[in-house]
Amino acid sequence: MNRKFLTLAAGALMLGMSSMSAQAAGKNICVSWKTFQEERWKTDEAAIKAVVEAAGNKYVSADAQGSAAKQLTDIEGLITQGCNVILVVAFDSDAILPAFQAAADAGVKMISYDVLVEHPDALYVTFDNVGVGRLMAKTMLEKGKSEGDFAFIKGDKGDPNATFLFQGIMEVLKPNMDAGKIKNVCETFTDGWKPDAAQKNMEQCLTSVNNKVDAVISQNDGMAGGVVAALEAQGLAGTVPVTGQDGDKAALNRVALGTQLVSVWKDARVLGKAAAEFANLIADGKAATELPGVGKFSGGAKGVEVNAVLIPPNPITRDNLSDVIDGGWISKEEACAGVAAGSVAACN
Amino acid sequence: MTAVDNTQNPARSDEGAIARFLRATEIDARMLGMVAALLIIWVGFDIYSGFLRDGEGLFGGSFLTPRNLWILLVQTSSIAVMTTGMVLIIVMRHIDLSVGSILGFTSVCIATMQVFWLGPMLGVGHPSIWIVTLILGLLLGGAIGAFHGTLIAYLGIPSFIVTLGGLIVWRGAAWAVIRGETVAPMDKNFKLIGGGISGITPGSIGATASWILGAVICAAIIYAIYNNRVQRKRFNFPQRPMWAEYFLAITGCILALGVTWLVNSYYWPKGVVDRYVQATGIEVPPEGINIAFGYSVPVLIAMGVGLGMSFLATRTRFGRYVYATGGNPEAAELAGVNTKKLTVMIFALMGVLAAISASISSARLDSATNALGQFDELYVIAAAVIGGTSLAGGLGTIYGAMLGALVMQSLQSGMTLLNFESATKDIVVGCVLVFAVFVDQVYRRRVK
Repeated sequence: MNRKFLTLAAGALMLGMSSMSAQAAGKNICVSWKTFQEERWKTDEAAIKAVVEAAGNKYVSADAQGSAAKQLTDIEGLITQGCNVILVVAFDSDAILPAFQAAADAGVKMISYDVLVEHPDALYVTFDNVGVGRLMAKTMLEKGKSEGDFAFIKGDKGDPNATFLFQGIMEVLKPNMDAGKIKNVCETFTDGWKPDAAQKNMEQCLTSVNNKVDAVISQNDGMAGGVVAALEAQGLAGTVPVTGQDGDKAALNRVALGTQLVSVWKDARVLGKAAAEFANLIADGKAATELPGVGKFSGGAKGVEVNAVLIPPNPITRDNLSDVIDGGWISKEEACAGVAAGSVAACN
Repeated sequence: MTAVDNTQNPARSDEGAIARFLRATEIDARMLGMVAALLIIWVGFDIYSGFLRDGEGLFGGSFLTPRNLWILLVQTSSIAVMTTGMVLIIVMRHIDLSVGSILGFTSVCIATMQVFWLGPMLGVGHPSIWIVTLILGLLLGGAIGAFHGTLIAYLGIPSFIVTLGGLIVWRGAAWAVIRGETVAPMDKNFKLIGGGISGITPGSIGATASWILGAVICAAIIYAIYNNRVQRKRFNFPQRPMWAEYFLAITGCILALGVTWLVNSYYWPKGVVDRYVQATGIEVPPEGINIAFGYSVPVLIAMGVGLGMSFLATRTRFGRYVYATGGNPEAAELAGVNTKKLTVMIFALMGVLAAISASISSARLDSATNALGQFDELYVIAAAVIGGTSLAGGLGTIYGAMLGALVMQSLQSGMTLLNFESATKDIVVGCVLVFAVFVDQVYRRRVK
């Protein structure tokens, strides 16, 4: 039985391989979404669908409507419908494991999209979250300040992302800190990533060191808004570089105005496009290990090693502000509101 | 054992100097306790922060500096405004859990009007924008509150449930208005409500106006004490001894002028002065330019609201009805108080106050997000309770609650200043809340 299955699978694989060069169309690429209640997944879907259909494959989707149980039945249904590859945005990354096993047993290839599912056969495609922290720090060193008194406004203490981000940030800043060039003068978590809480934290920080702050590492754009408001009250906005992430419209405007140094932007469309391209390749029989940029990832809660592609996010500064405008993420009017003519290239 | 002498209050013969002093000056001992606690917290933080880093504070730290206290007052103002309404709601034996969400929703609506509607329509920075959006915001807050009040009073749904629903609904509504985006920047005139500096226009009234205000407050205190004495004489009420009157007048004036001196000792930071010099082109004297902030707009708003609400609570029929209903709802109703209408009015008032706080918070942050004001309901209730408001209803003062808000904010700001971990902060604030209520209970039992 087992042997028979293996031979079959090998046969199918060979068939797939041989047909790859000839014609790569007609495959079913399926996506199991956790919910469409959140607006962003529609953005991802549009990107995935476009790439899948451009390659002549068929796009099939199922919406789990925020239920782990429905997602299980969804995936079983997708397997029966003859999907070649299933992308899964898992609602519950543990409860979904039986579905991944069933898919693996049926020879269907799985991609865990954005949310890690710790199944050894699945490919994990996501933005490099530790990399966001690294990118913030790297941009700060290259385009902001590389030495001086640094303040760290971290996210909510209950959110592991705040810690991941901080790890990435420290990784990059450590050499300069060890050399005594960078001093950590304030470091606080911010309840619920709230901008107004970040503002208070920054005010207290500035008071405690009598405004001797040269740079602020804020872990997202919302908090960066609070930080800039606190700096503004001390007449420091624009002279002290501030980091952020998310590509918030208000933050991109601050980047254009010069009060925020960088907003690390995770474009859902880039992620969707990359994942869909991988899905096309895998449907055509390419092994996960042969994909461009693939590596091993074992940073999950259980430490299971999976093949993963970590997409680098895009740090948006004044220099590449046109990326978000040309990409249709924000209109030029919104990004450039209040910007003095000629000061930012993207606004001309 | 001799017979009990009933002609004299037995407490009087053996009371100590402090009790006699309190009786003569008619100062609420609980308020004195809170002021003492506040001073201990302040001095403690200043000394502690002095160990970490030398500062210009009174005790060598960075807490008791004009700058920190000025910011502390601004940080307190948003919560303080809302506690004044929460006191009356709790006095009426209700609760309002939705204030934080109402704050979030109204601030998002105000910002949306400024940035997406009136801004493009009238031109960004048009002088009418701030006042139009402010009034519409207050109306919106009042309408939401009145709606809650109607559900509570006329449909008989418990206030806990109605406002718990409101807590969830308005937070969701805030998200829905702008799909979770941050709306920024606020109108440049509106920004002054938050106390920040808009360009080179500060959201504070400067040294001269502050001194005038301080003097006016001082004069008002003296007049109030004088008037009180005249009135008591007119109705043959017992008078405070003369020394107590002088003591109260002098203490009040020292306090008013002291705070004025404090806010006038915080000068514009260098960056802003540079911008000011650049914009006005004035000559800089060799010793530099010192421009004092003075009272900031949000603090003035909070003071005004506190005064108005105190007046409403203690000097009007409305206020007396509120306390009467809180003390005994059935009796009040039988006495002819329209408690249903009163409930609607009190929740509408709370909504308006939440909208005022929304204006302060969003102006201060220079943006509005759907997360603005999250958990504020808890801080507001905690401040009211620390300030001596009884959850059983009927008891509570406006000034006590505002002091409670100042205590809470002092703790939080102080611990942030000392770089405490936020987990520690939460633990301390929670413990202080419970401890304050415990002390209050003990005090009440002893007084009885």
